Amino acid sequence: MNMKKLTYLFMVPVAMLALVAFRPVASKLVSKSGHINFFSHTALEDITSNNYKVVSTLETSTGDVAFSLPMQSFEFEKALMQEHFNSKDFLNTKDFPKAKFEGKIINISEVDFTKDGTYEANVSGNLTIKDVTKPINEKGTITVKGGVINAQTKFKLVLADYGITFKKGKPSTNVAKEIEVTLNADYQSE
Amino acid sequence: MPKKKLIKVALIVIAVGILSAGGIAVYMFNKPHRDVQSATIDFTLASTALVQEYFTNPQAANQKYLDDTGDSKIMSVTGKVSSISRDMNNQLVVLLQDEGDKAGVSCTFSAATNASAEKLAIGQTVTIKGVIRSGAGYDANLDLYEDVILEKCDVLNP
Repeated sequence: MNMKKLTYLFMVPVAMLALVAFRPVASKLVSKSGHINFFSHTALEDITSNNYKVVSTLETSTGDVAFSLPMQSFEFEKALMQEHFNSKDFLNTKDFPKAKFEGKIINISEVDFTKDGTYEANVSGNLTIKDVTKPINEKGTITVKGGVINAQTKFKLVLADYGITFKKGKPSTNVAKEIEVTLNADYQSE
Repeated sequence: MPKKKLIKVALIVIAVGILSAGGIAVYMFNKPHRDVQSATIDFTLASTALVQEYFTNPQAANQKYLDDTGDSKIMSVTGKVSSISRDMNNQLVVLLQDEGDKAGVSCTFSAATNASAEKLAIGQTVTIKGVIRSGAGYDANLDLYEDVILEKCDVLNP
């Protein structure tokens, strides 16, 4: 084997290594079955509901983050409560089948998606429920572990901000004015 | 009829009335969720057709398939299995999406029906029954096409 051939042979693994090392990290992450829970506490009753159909995308290069959730996927222990939740008087899910959030992780530069760890994310954006859009700023946690990326957040939501008010009857006494929302999503590269 | 007996009968009638009204109220408050798998199928169609219907006119499709109470239409959808995954509630999710379609029909099974989803293979054509929760469409913020969502699903035997 002459020297030239040997050099070529040597170059092949070097080139392969370089490709692996500098391969751009897939920047758009997608979650198609995230979990959202809400919890309402009053002295009279605790009400909770779960939804496992949250869709979300997270653009790691810019911090752009979006959520979409089908409102009719919220499930309650009692069928009657679920009916009330969906009805025209409350969430009107037939006319407004999805709630949406679009915003940004403003400290995205502090999150290293290539390194295992837990990072605090400051999220700022607009939440749309029914036909009402309001700006929100909340904190969340991004966990990177062995290439798996998870996002979680827990925050309070004032129902009246989105035009959800209960003037009389049982809901006005048994549903909290402020509810706790918990979100949990696993992301994969698109 | 003597007056005493008349009063007695009236009291019994009132008592029965109150008890049954109370019974109905308690039943309404605790009434069970609709059993999707034993409910009558409202619409039978191909996954491609359902997705296309939502792309063409999402408002009309929502009015046609969704219900005010959340007990929306019971669908029977036929399509090609393009992926099988598991959600955070340990339920299997089967995506029916034909080649060339931008979105599909995502079918979430339940603890009671997961076993029938486990038997499915990618590429197989199946018919799945479930309740529709939301439609398909392009979302600019997500920058992706959302699938139609069915839940409480099971495979329909041919």
